[in-house]
Amino acid sequence: MSLYQIRTLAASATAIALVLSACAAPAATPIAPATTAPAEPTAAPAPAEPASGIVTREYAGSKLTLASQTDQFIEAFRALIPKFEELSGIDVTLDELGYVDLRQKATADFVGKTANYDLITVDIVWSGEYGQNKWTVDLTPLIERDKAQLALDDILPVMWTLGKWGDGQWAYPLAGYANILNYRTDLFAEAGVSVPKTLTELQEVAAKLTQPEKNVWGIGLLGAKGPAVAQDFMAYVQQYGSSLLDKDGKPAIDTEANLKALEGFKALFNAAPPDATGWWWGDRNDAFSSGKIAMMLNWSTAIKNHKNPDLNPFADKIETAFSPLGAEAGKYGFGGWGIGINADSKNKEAAWMFIKWITSPEVQKEWVDNNGSPIRRSTLTDPELVKKYPWFPILLESFEKGDGDYRPREPWYSKMEDVIGSEVNAYLVGQIDAKTALANMQKAALDIIK
Amino acid sequence: MRTSRAEHVIRNLAAVLAVAFFLLPIVWLFSTSFKLQRDTFQLPPLWLGFEPTWNNFAFAINQIRVGQFVLNSVVISAGTTLASVVLGTLGGYAVARSRLRLMSASSYFFLVLLMIPPVAMLVPFYLIMRDLGLLGTYLAVIILDTVYNAPFVVWMMSNYFRSVSTEMEQAALVDGASHFQAFAQVALPLALPGLIASVLYCVIFSWNDFIFALLLTSPSTKTVPLAIMGQFSTAQLQWGYMAALSVFAVLPMLLLALALNRYFVQGLTAGATKG
Amino acid sequence: MLAPVLIFVLAIALAPLIFSFSISLTDYRLTDPTQAKPFVGLGNYIKAFQDKAVLETLWNTVVFTIGAVTSQVVLGMALALLMAGETPFMRALRSVAILPLALPPLVVGLVWKALYNPQFGPVAYYLKQIGLSVDRGLLGDFNTAMAAVLLIDLWQWTPLLMIIFLAGIKSLPGEMLEAAYVDGANRLQAFFFVMLPMLLPVLFIGVLLRTMNAFKVFDIIFATTGGGPGNATSVLNFHIYKVGLTFFDMGYAAALANILLFMIGVCSAFYILLLRRQRAAESL
Repeated sequence: MSLYQIRTLAASATAIALVLSACAAPAATPIAPATTAPAEPTAAPAPAEPASGIVTREYAGSKLTLASQTDQFIEAFRALIPKFEELSGIDVTLDELGYVDLRQKATADFVGKTANYDLITVDIVWSGEYGQNKWTVDLTPLIERDKAQLALDDILPVMWTLGKWGDGQWAYPLAGYANILNYRTDLFAEAGVSVPKTLTELQEVAAKLTQPEKNVWGIGLLGAKGPAVAQDFMAYVQQYGSSLLDKDGKPAIDTEANLKALEGFKALFNAAPPDATGWWWGDRNDAFSSGKIAMMLNWSTAIKNHKNPDLNPFADKIETAFSPLGAEAGKYGFGGWGIGINADSKNKEAAWMFIKWITSPEVQKEWVDNNGSPIRRSTLTDPELVKKYPWFPILLESFEKGDGDYRPREPWYSKMEDVIGSEVNAYLVGQIDAKTALANMQKAALDIIK
Repeated sequence: MRTSRAEHVIRNLAAVLAVAFFLLPIVWLFSTSFKLQRDTFQLPPLWLGFEPTWNNFAFAINQIRVGQFVLNSVVISAGTTLASVVLGTLGGYAVARSRLRLMSASSYFFLVLLMIPPVAMLVPFYLIMRDLGLLGTYLAVIILDTVYNAPFVVWMMSNYFRSVSTEMEQAALVDGASHFQAFAQVALPLALPGLIASVLYCVIFSWNDFIFALLLTSPSTKTVPLAIMGQFSTAQLQWGYMAALSVFAVLPMLLLALALNRYFVQGLTAGATKG
Repeated sequence: MLAPVLIFVLAIALAPLIFSFSISLTDYRLTDPTQAKPFVGLGNYIKAFQDKAVLETLWNTVVFTIGAVTSQVVLGMALALLMAGETPFMRALRSVAILPLALPPLVVGLVWKALYNPQFGPVAYYLKQIGLSVDRGLLGDFNTAMAAVLLIDLWQWTPLLMIIFLAGIKSLPGEMLEAAYVDGANRLQAFFFVMLPMLLPVLFIGVLLRTMNAFKVFDIIFATTGGGPGNATSVLNFHIYKVGLTFFDMGYAAALANILLFMIGVCSAFYILLLRRQRAAESL
């Protein structure tokens, strides 16, 4: 986006905002003279709950297409989009894509400049690549312009890492995930163990919980080739307290500390079902809800389903705790999704309106009730919600001590993840040894990170 | 032939076992599409005797809105089939009736085109379609699908036309018919089984295509296989949903295959089996 | 009348291939903001043959192709012989047996992935019942993954070979086999020395069609293993997809695709020569 465009956008939007703030019932009359939207019949009732005047009918009749990862929050999109359509008169198409195809389709859309998508859910780790290539709009000026509407103080600081790279904000915080421990109270009691606080304890507890003859295992881990094992391994490295990069950001993978971490990671697989070396996120959740694993370190986003007796028969025996940490690290793994606007989109203002609305404090309640993950302090401390979702305090603290950088949000992340995902998996299934895996990763990293 | 009664029984038994191998995964897919989540992974596997539900289909229709993807698949496979069969039949006839050595050898050239790895085509084709502004349209997918299907039809139809006697065409030509009339009014009706086979393969290949559609479609033109893949993500897998969605991709092709099963070999082997 | 199709195919298929060759000589990355296309000559091809990952995928591709074609031809022929009877029951069985080839390969992959699932899948369950251990599952174990993927391919495509061979068998003159039996040949001899030579043309077609497609296998790998575990099932076509259409490293992907094209071309040229000699012999 050129400076000129930004300025024009900003100017017109400021004008709109001014008229808006003077207008009590924003939906009642079409405002901007330029709009070509058909006039609403005057008898039409004003739509309910206009979220702080964020949603207007200024872009009624325009179309938005949202490319979304089919993560848990897809349910919230499915439920909330019709409401937004009703309020704004904007037609929103939701394109539901898996993790691999979303990245592939979105990148194709950017490099092809086809602008099929106006809005894209952006994994935290893609921030650097999106920012460097300016595939999405830098939202900083829009945030500055509309800060009165955004209740910015309410958004937890770590959430901004969902989309931040360099000086720009390439996606807006949408769904924050904390790395936490879910466990089965009954199996813990049976084995006489308590919640592990350190990685050493985690190893011990996992071993004690493992009863292969009953097909019950201590822990569920992701081992599948690709992003799954790469992300679980990077989380382990972070908890362990070592790092894949040195202080200057240069690859330092084949170190003694990382060798220990990698061996520790594999050792943990001894307490996991043997097929965990092929697991993807969904497989681990399946295993947990079928009672095969006693605990799992994973994203907080899955908890709600596991506490639902229809989806998990052990729902009343499941508790949540902080993830265990290594000796040196003092932070919890943080991840999740932002939502960005395609730099080639022709409906940037309408898209921005959608972002403002879906992340607004008023909508957050419905967002989390429909399986979305929160980004706001007010949501996590709302007494009504905390009663419904008793794990919210743990989430809040995990977010406050959250580290969104254990997976480097750099432009080369995806290529690096691919290498790590291949080599660690090859090591886990016994194709290569740990030293070879680390040496291969280091060699590839030097090639990728220049 | 020397077949005893015992052999007859053994033969039938072996054939039934073999067919069971080919059928059971399909049965599993259909039965799963009627299962509640809690039943999908019961062990021993529940093949029958579970409480059936329409929920999965309701999800596919109402939440995923699979209808629009089915429509997209229909448009793309209909367009591809039409283009491929028209181009391919004309080409196949020309190859079959040509007296030039070069022309008759060209049927192998068409076979060679089928060997181009899809990704080899997809990379440059993607760039070309981008520059033409056709990315994300039905046309982009149809063109590329046709590039792979038309040569196959040429090859099949040239085999088939060769296996059909030319006497009646000659007679028509003598009676003053043009080459095109001889083709359309005499040769084509005789080659109808080969034509049906060509349609059958074109529909199946273009309906089932995944990799071209993956890159060339937009949200408004995406096909059923892509919609299925979209639900394979990081959240908990709902196999019932997946199966119900898959039924929309599978059922039309199964019905087609059952209805036209005797046409599958027409054209494929026409040249090789003398008759 | 050949003209329309020839023009279409030449314009659409050959143009991209020439284009593909020209970009394979450059270091063209779509994700590069400058969109520069520096000329690197044969650099991408040299890089490919030094790239350990590529060499492994080449090897896997060869293994997959040989494995798929051999197993499917043998099984397809066996089934064709078994099910050649013209009773209504056999005809019904045959029409059911061909159903797999109408299914989207992607769905086939997903269904088999569920069937193989070591915790919940029927295949693993029945294997356990007969006392076989399936720790990581057939798809998850480094040593069995390729075989497991081959079985999926076999499930889908053997029926095609079966019906092709059946058509060949049906067209054989019955009296020749009778004559062989009269001469005292047993069935195996009759098959190998009388029937098989006459079935060579259909055998060629079957092998040719399957070889071409096995080299290009993609959907079932995409749906099941993603090339893993380790790189047990990483085939060239899947690798090219990753390089070209995930990381948009177009120059290198084009070079890899051309290598694959060359391999398929050589193999097919060999088959086609055989087929032509056969045809030429027939028309004499």
